[in-house]
Amino acid sequence: MLTENDWQALWLTVRLAGIVTLILLLIGTPIAWWLARTKRRWKGAIGAVVALPLVLPPSVLGFYLLLAMGPNGPVGKFTQMLGGTLLPFSFWGLVVASVFYSLPFMVQPLQSAFEAVGDRPLEVAATLRASPLDAFFSVAVPLAAPGFLTASILTFAHTVGEFGVVLMIGGNLPGVTRVASVQIYDHVEALEYMQAHRLSAVMLVFSFFVLLALYAWRPNPKKER
Amino acid sequence: MNHFRNLLLAVSLLCAPFAHAGEITIAAAADLKFAMSEIVTRFKGLHPTEKVEVIYGSSGKFHTQIQQGAPYDLYFSADVEFPRELAKAGLAASEVTPYAFGRIVLWRATLDASRMTLESLVAPSIHHIAIANPKHAPYGKRAEEALRASGLWERLEPKLVYGENIAHAAQFVQTGNAQVGIIALALAVNPELSGPGGYWLIPDTLHKPLEQGFIITRRAENNPLAKRFAEYLSSQSARAVMTRYGFVLSGETSDAAGKP
Amino acid sequence: MEEGIEACFRFDWPGFSLDVDLQLPGRGITALFGHSGSGKTTLLRAIAGLERTAHGRLVFSGEIWQDQNRWVPTHKRPIGYVFQEASLFPHLTVMGNLSYGMKRNAAARSINLEHAIELLGIGHLLDRTPDRLSGGERQRVGIARALAVSPRLLLMDEPLAALDLKRRQEILPYLERLHGELEIPLLYVSHSPDEVARLADHLVVMEEGRALASGTLVEILSRLDLPIRLGEDTGVVVEAVVAERDRMWHLVRVAFPGGSLWVREQGSKVGDRVRVRVLARDVSIALESHADSSIVNTLPATVSAIRDESHPALCLVRLEAGGTPLLARLTRRSASALKLTPGCTVWAQIKAVALLA
Repeated sequence: MLTENDWQALWLTVRLAGIVTLILLLIGTPIAWWLARTKRRWKGAIGAVVALPLVLPPSVLGFYLLLAMGPNGPVGKFTQMLGGTLLPFSFWGLVVASVFYSLPFMVQPLQSAFEAVGDRPLEVAATLRASPLDAFFSVAVPLAAPGFLTASILTFAHTVGEFGVVLMIGGNLPGVTRVASVQIYDHVEALEYMQAHRLSAVMLVFSFFVLLALYAWRPNPKKER
Repeated sequence: MNHFRNLLLAVSLLCAPFAHAGEITIAAAADLKFAMSEIVTRFKGLHPTEKVEVIYGSSGKFHTQIQQGAPYDLYFSADVEFPRELAKAGLAASEVTPYAFGRIVLWRATLDASRMTLESLVAPSIHHIAIANPKHAPYGKRAEEALRASGLWERLEPKLVYGENIAHAAQFVQTGNAQVGIIALALAVNPELSGPGGYWLIPDTLHKPLEQGFIITRRAENNPLAKRFAEYLSSQSARAVMTRYGFVLSGETSDAAGKP
Repeated sequence: MEEGIEACFRFDWPGFSLDVDLQLPGRGITALFGHSGSGKTTLLRAIAGLERTAHGRLVFSGEIWQDQNRWVPTHKRPIGYVFQEASLFPHLTVMGNLSYGMKRNAAARSINLEHAIELLGIGHLLDRTPDRLSGGERQRVGIARALAVSPRLLLMDEPLAALDLKRRQEILPYLERLHGELEIPLLYVSHSPDEVARLADHLVVMEEGRALASGTLVEILSRLDLPIRLGEDTGVVVEAVVAERDRMWHLVRVAFPGGSLWVREQGSKVGDRVRVRVLARDVSIALESHADSSIVNTLPATVSAIRDESHPALCLVRLEAGGTPLLARLTRRSASALKLTPGCTVWAQIKAVALLA
């Protein structure tokens, strides 16, 4: 059915999405927490920056990332200083790009989950001797658990569906940057419609089940408190 | 009543440009980017009321799109095989016209590549070599053939990165992410890209000829402007532009393609 | 001052300000009383460290919790806090809620947890999750949770306000038990005169972000110069001891320095310390003792002050019955007919007495 290259592309896609989701859990959680809790004026600006990838065409993001990660860009200079390699055409380049690209899909559900938790449980925790960090892990995180699940699924799924940015900075390397969406595109371009059909069907089924899981899992609002 | 008449007048005025002057949309391979723009400018100078739109992209993609009924009136492919297939499928309103042969070059953005050869690509200072995707881009196919013919493919394949088309490959080089690219001569001679770097012409003995061809699509069957533009391509003026951009014209083909 | 709480806060928010400078006792229940918007909850939150005021000074038993240079965050203050809604953690069981604070406080002793569970009668609920508790049960768990951290200061923000009358009646006895057993000071925010009369030893009256008065419950309730707009609830509280029981008529006699009163028995034994509440509207004044009246409770007293009430027909008379203050609400016409002036000796006729505990 699927060729070896197709499987390779699928596995690469899953690996990319998994790693991006993990990284975004680490990066997105404090950002979402800060956005949900702060009353500073900065909040609007930071929130807007986080949401940018929602509205920016992937080509804009891809173009800037290509420049930034290139030898003369700030990111490129930094990575060269560290290890001498550049990020474009590499798996980790895709990871970095996807982290930017999928950021709002992690931050926004988490932010609303944290906002729904509200001040009160944290105040209660403080009166019960929990430090702010302790209260975060022992109260805010468990109460926001459905938000974490939603955010992770959305981030994973969105990274799987990424195409434009990958195409622009990936260099289409099999096993390194040729993810499933690009592989399908190549099949279509090369008029291999049958191959394209098969891989597309896999993606379609996958996406459906991800969304099904998301909607089916969503807790019944009546049961909440 | 008066208002209604005014409205009618306004509507007819708005529609007027569409109603009267001719209009064509051209799908052109990315290697024609600069040459075609200049030809169109000249054509418009002769026919100021006509409207000519050009869209550049990969030949393979246009081929697929035209099969699906894309609104292109003329199709210029970097590989004559694509229009031939369309003609076979009855999607062409004209003969397939081979118009030129393309050439591929080694090119770098900031350094002179004119003294490089394919062998020099092995150097460790070269991490990435950008070519168009050989799977569907004619220039990419020829680049692969040239690398294979010179026995370098195995050693260079790990360094290759694949652009959507040659313009995309050139963009990888221009942003410095790839050190070298194998692109169309027609792009490399353009001042915008040539800059401080220079190019090295890859011998056409190393790859199959890049024969380019165009057709008028079935959609433009009754569009006189499409025919007029096709005829204009064989004019002295248009041929001069093509030659300047490094295309070997089909009139002189036997010579270029068959060179040992 | 070593014992007690020194609380001084001043700040302005748009539409609201707080400006208090209070010395609160280091034992017993202090009620912060006032209407909604009077600043009592804000004051409590400031004491807990949940609200940080720009200008403030808070000293608890000699420890500075807040001044210009110091700020002890809430989680480092040895407090227990009961919120208006129980605010239990929905992801933990009752036991998980109770032990949450205990685990985080090295000074907490499990004896306090066991005691709190016993005191509030929640031993049968420990494995339940909060969504399977009634409102009253939830609030009892909330109170036990605050006790289980072994606090040195207990703060309660209208713990009964969110409950209906039935639930309130369910919890009040637990609070009264707490009153009897608690060795730490409790600050209790309330707008209910009944709760205050039952529970408080010390009373702070708040209005528009200021403390109008602060003193013992008996003293504050009997003051005429305070615009405590209690209306029909105006009255005093008398601390007394059960002296005698009349089984046949189901009455008990409670004695206090100024005399004694017969009240309906409510299960208290001879020798118990009790509180009785005497409302001003239930006290009338006679110049002589009438043996033929249905009113059994008459006390000899002296008029110490008279003050006109906001309604022009009424006045409020303060009486001293052997050192125990009483308030009587009369029409000004009656006061005039009786020629009442400070110093007159009269009989206070008390129609009804409520035994509180």
